[in-house]
Amino acid sequence: MKISSMGYLVKQGAKNVWTNRMMSFASYCIILVSLIMVGISILIFLNLDKIISGIEGKSEVVVQLDDNIEKSAIQTLEETIKSVDNVDTVVFYSKEEAWNSMIEDMTKEEKELFQYADDDNPLPDTFKLTIKDINRMSDTTNQIATFGGVTDVKSPTSFANVLIGIQRIISLISVAIVAALIVVCLIIISNTTRSSVYARKKEINIMKYVGATNAFIRIPFFIEGMIVGLLSAISALLLTKFAYEAVYNILSDDFQLWTTLGVKTLYSFSDLFSIVALSYIIAGAVIGAVGTSISINKHLAV
Amino acid sequence: MVELKDVSVTYSDSGVEALNHVNLKINDGDFAFVVGSSGAGKSTLIKLILKEINATDGTVMVNGFNLKKLRRSKIPQLRRTIGVVFQDFRLIPTMTVYENIAFVLRVIDAPPKYIRSRVPYVISLVGLSHKAKSYPTQLSGGEQQRVALARALVNDPALIIADEPTGNIDPALSYEIVDLFKGINECGTTILMVTHEHDIVRHFGGRIINIDHGQVTFDEVVEGNYENQ
Repeated sequence: MKISSMGYLVKQGAKNVWTNRMMSFASYCIILVSLIMVGISILIFLNLDKIISGIEGKSEVVVQLDDNIEKSAIQTLEETIKSVDNVDTVVFYSKEEAWNSMIEDMTKEEKELFQYADDDNPLPDTFKLTIKDINRMSDTTNQIATFGGVTDVKSPTSFANVLIGIQRIISLISVAIVAALIVVCLIIISNTTRSSVYARKKEINIMKYVGATNAFIRIPFFIEGMIVGLLSAISALLLTKFAYEAVYNILSDDFQLWTTLGVKTLYSFSDLFSIVALSYIIAGAVIGAVGTSISINKHLAV
Repeated sequence: MVELKDVSVTYSDSGVEALNHVNLKINDGDFAFVVGSSGAGKSTLIKLILKEINATDGTVMVNGFNLKKLRRSKIPQLRRTIGVVFQDFRLIPTMTVYENIAFVLRVIDAPPKYIRSRVPYVISLVGLSHKAKSYPTQLSGGEQQRVALARALVNDPALIIADEPTGNIDPALSYEIVDLFKGINECGTTILMVTHEHDIVRHFGGRIINIDHGQVTFDEVVEGNYENQ
């Protein structure tokens, strides 16, 4: 196909958006609502993922050391543990610090009972670690347990498993919602445009009789759907931005909540702009173009 | 050139045998009227030539294409060698006269410069230069049919099929339209005109093919009153 013909078809598609404006508006609204729902799913998923990562960062692994370990060996061991790729931070916690901390948490009577037991501190020296990826917690703790001078490694494995489970469920739900919305949207768009296409059945018929190929007939419909989809994507992006920023401003003020969850705050919209914009533009254009094209297929068999 | 060899068409959904062992040859440059009562098989013949339907039996050759062997993707190429004029004009209502005609050339990827020179020429041939920017709804039936004729003519097809072209227009204008077809035929284009208007057939004469119950029952050249006048 020549460039001049392609230009003509693109122009026809753009013109058809206005010629069939009622149907274009109906499609625009449907795609807009669907994209906003897709966007909400993506934003919720990304923020929940961030929160879970924050909680992961707060889950500590405690490495207990041998009572007879030398001071110099402790330093070497600290360096070795830091070199493990999944370890984020390492803090040494001496047996004295542990004892004092335990005494502080006791009641007055308990403190009196233990005040003379300083010489016989039963607690071990420890390292407290935070890890980067909770999915690899077991492998990391098993690796550290083999290091010389380590007597035991205590990790919140069951808690980690719960978090991993939650993360997986959220991912699955998000993917399912996005996929379902896209399918529903395609069905609604193809049905909405069906009556418009039916009204242009005669036009398609004439095109076939004068020797137009299916591609020649489809391209203007395709362009028309794509333009409507892109307009919906731009509107959805603006609406999502305003709505998200309103929610963000309300929630980001609750400092205590975020400290508890281990994250500074939610993602700002500018952090997520590129992923949301890209998703909207691709989904909008594809849904519009494919949805419109589906409905012309049955009229092409002339 | 159109050639049907022992062609039969049976509609699978209704079981109706629309054409029954038809043998017919229309040579390049012919002008033929196809007549017959409703349901005789005239429309089936047109559909067959345009490869809208396939023959159940026999061979159909149109402008060098063997329709039995023609792949679906090649149908547009066949149709580009045929101009079609319908009873109900079938113009695209959202396009002007000029655009309706230029559209055919765009379909065949004609250069824009050629479109700009060819379309006004064809519009002038059917006497509608002053209506080039009008929309079909702004034209009379006769004018719409002339636009349809210009559209059929614009890519210089070897064959023009006219399906009841005078069916929806004023009887007085019908003769003008057939006159236009005659003029085009004199320039070498083969014309196959389906009609049930016997007055027109008698007036113009020429080759007359009668189809009845799916069979060609008459195929002869008859002298017209027009030629006697």
